[in-house]
Amino acid sequence: MATEATRGSGPTQASSGTGLLDVAGVVKGFGGIRAVDGASFAVAEGSITALIGPNGAGKTTLFNVLTGFLRGDGGSVRFAGDEIFRLPAYAIARRGMVRTFQITKALAAMPVIDNMKLAAPDQPGERLHNVLFRAGVMRRREREVHEQALELLEVFDLGDLGDDYAGTLSGGQRKLLELARALMAQPKLLLLDEPMAGINPTLGRRLLDHMQRLRREQGRTFLFIEHDMEVVMDHADRVIVMAEGRVIAEGEPHQVREDPTVVDAYLGGTA
Amino acid sequence: MSPPPLAFTLEAFTNFGFWSGVLTIAGIYAVVALGLQLNVGYTGIVNFGQAGFMAVGGYSMAILVLEAGLSFWLALPAAVLITMAFGMLIGLPSLRLRADYFAIVTLATAEVVRLAAQNARGLTGGNKGLYCEFDGGDQVCFDDAWRSVSDSILGFVENFWADPEALLPLLLVVWLTVAIGIVGLSFVQGTPWGRVLRAIREDEDAARALGKNTLLYKLQSLAISAMLGALAGFFLALFLATIHPDDYEPIVTFFAFGVLILGGLASYKGVAIGAVLLWTLLEGTRFVELPISEEKTAALRFAIVGVALILLMAFRPQGMFGKREEMVLGD
Repeated sequence: MATEATRGSGPTQASSGTGLLDVAGVVKGFGGIRAVDGASFAVAEGSITALIGPNGAGKTTLFNVLTGFLRGDGGSVRFAGDEIFRLPAYAIARRGMVRTFQITKALAAMPVIDNMKLAAPDQPGERLHNVLFRAGVMRRREREVHEQALELLEVFDLGDLGDDYAGTLSGGQRKLLELARALMAQPKLLLLDEPMAGINPTLGRRLLDHMQRLRREQGRTFLFIEHDMEVVMDHADRVIVMAEGRVIAEGEPHQVREDPTVVDAYLGGTA
Repeated sequence: MSPPPLAFTLEAFTNFGFWSGVLTIAGIYAVVALGLQLNVGYTGIVNFGQAGFMAVGGYSMAILVLEAGLSFWLALPAAVLITMAFGMLIGLPSLRLRADYFAIVTLATAEVVRLAAQNARGLTGGNKGLYCEFDGGDQVCFDDAWRSVSDSILGFVENFWADPEALLPLLLVVWLTVAIGIVGLSFVQGTPWGRVLRAIREDEDAARALGKNTLLYKLQSLAISAMLGALAGFFLALFLATIHPDDYEPIVTFFAFGVLILGGLASYKGVAIGAVLLWTLLEGTRFVELPISEEKTAALRFAIVGVALILLMAFRPQGMFGKREEMVLGD
C-alpha cells in the first residue's frame, strides 16, 4: 500500500537496494550486440516511473529480461526483496510483477470477460485435478472472479462489451482491456510498454488518469516506457533514461530534461 | 451385370453389416480427432503425430498381452500410460518450439514409431503384424479377452434381435467412448483450465504474462490427446484383428484432420458429425455405380471427398460446427 510519503508527485528515494524493484548490472546480448549493457536502477514502491530513451536504447529488451520473456546474460533483479532474475515469465507474473505489451495482446477469439477472468490469480480450477475433484471451490472462486471482472470492466468503460469478442474492440479499447486484465492479476508492479502508442489522445488521457488513480487509491507501482515527453513530464514522478543499453540518467522529470547527457543522447551525440 | 449409369444399388441402404463397419471406423476416427480438437482447436498446438500415438498404444497393448503375458484388461491401462508418457517425452522438448516446428517433430516421431515397428521384428512381428502367438501349443491372441466379452454382449442382444452383427459390441464401445469423450472434454473446456488452453491458442505470451505455466498446459493437452490416440489404437487393433505398421501411416492422421475440418474447429460434437460424414462420403460412394472401370471408381471416391472438402472451405470455411467469428478473429 502507498504510504503518505509516496503519494502525490513528490519524489521518493531511489538509492539502490531499497526499491520495490532493484535492477543491478543487467546484461543481455544478441550475438555481438549488447542490447542491454549493465542497466541499473530502482523503482520505488508507489511511484510512477517512466523509462525513456532513443530508439534502440534497449528499453523493450530490458522489459523482456525483467519479466522473464528473455533470459538475461548477467546481473541481478530483485523484486519485493527476492531475486527474480532468470525466473520463468509465469513465475515472475505470479509474484506480482505484470507486464503489458507494446503491441496489445488481446486474446481476440475470446470474449472480453474471459480475457479478464483468465488473469485472476488463485483459481484452483486452473489445475486439471481440481476441475475433477474440487469443482465446488472452483465454482465459488469463479463467481468471485466474475464479479471482480465486471466491476473492473465498468471502471474502464468496457462494461457493455463483456460478451463481445476481444478482437472486435478498437485499438484504444484493447489497450484499456490489457491494462484492466493486468489489474485482475492483482499486481504490485505494472510494467507498461508504450501504453499510449497507437491510441487516440482522449483514450490516452483516460488511461493516464487510471494510472494516477490506481497509484493514489490502491498504492500500485508503475514503470512505463514512453516516447511522448509531455506525458512523461506530466505524469511520472521519476524518470530513467536509457541509451545504448545503459542507464545514463535518473531523476525527477525536470532534472532529467535539463541533463546535458540526456539531450546529447536524443540528439545523437555520444553519451 | 451392366448397371445403368449413375445408379445406387438398394444394398446401399440395407447392408447393415457394411454400415456397421463404416460407423465403427468413423467412431475410431472420431476418438482420434477428439484429441486433435483438444490440441489444434483449443490449445493451438498442431499435432501431426496422432497415428504414432495410436501405434504406440496398440503395439504396447499387444506386446504386453502376447510377450509379457499380462491380462488384456491390465494391458489396456498400462498401454494408455505408456502412450501418455511417450507423448510427454516428445512434448517436453518440442512444445517449446514454434507451432510449425512442433508439427514437424510430431509427424517425424509418428513415422519413427511406424518404421521402428516395421523393423523390430522380434517384438512387433515386423510386416507380418501382431495378432496371435503359440504358447506351448495353445494359441493366444491379444483380443481373446475382448472376444469373450463381445460374445456375451452378442448373446445378450440375441434376446431381442436374432442374428446381430458381429461388429455390434465394438461399435457400441467405440461410440460410447466418443460420447464420453465429447461430454468430458466439453466439460473441462468450460472450466478455468480450458480457458487457459484457449488463451494459449490465442497468444501464448499473453498467457505467460498473466502467470500461466503454458508448457505445463500444452503437455497436459498433448498427454490427453495421446491417451485418446491409444484408445483409438486399441479399437483399430480390435476392428482389424491385427496390428500392422501400414495401419499407422501419416494418412491416418490426415484423415483425422479431415474430420476436424469437416466438423469445424473448437467444437467437440462437430468431431463426431465430421467423422460420420467423412466416412459416409468415402465408403458410401462405393455404391455409386458408374459405367467406368473399378480402378477409376476407386480413385474417383477420393476425388469426391476432395471436392466436398473444397466446397466446404469455399462456402463454410469454419466447418459445420466451428464458429466463424473465432476463425476470423483468431489471426
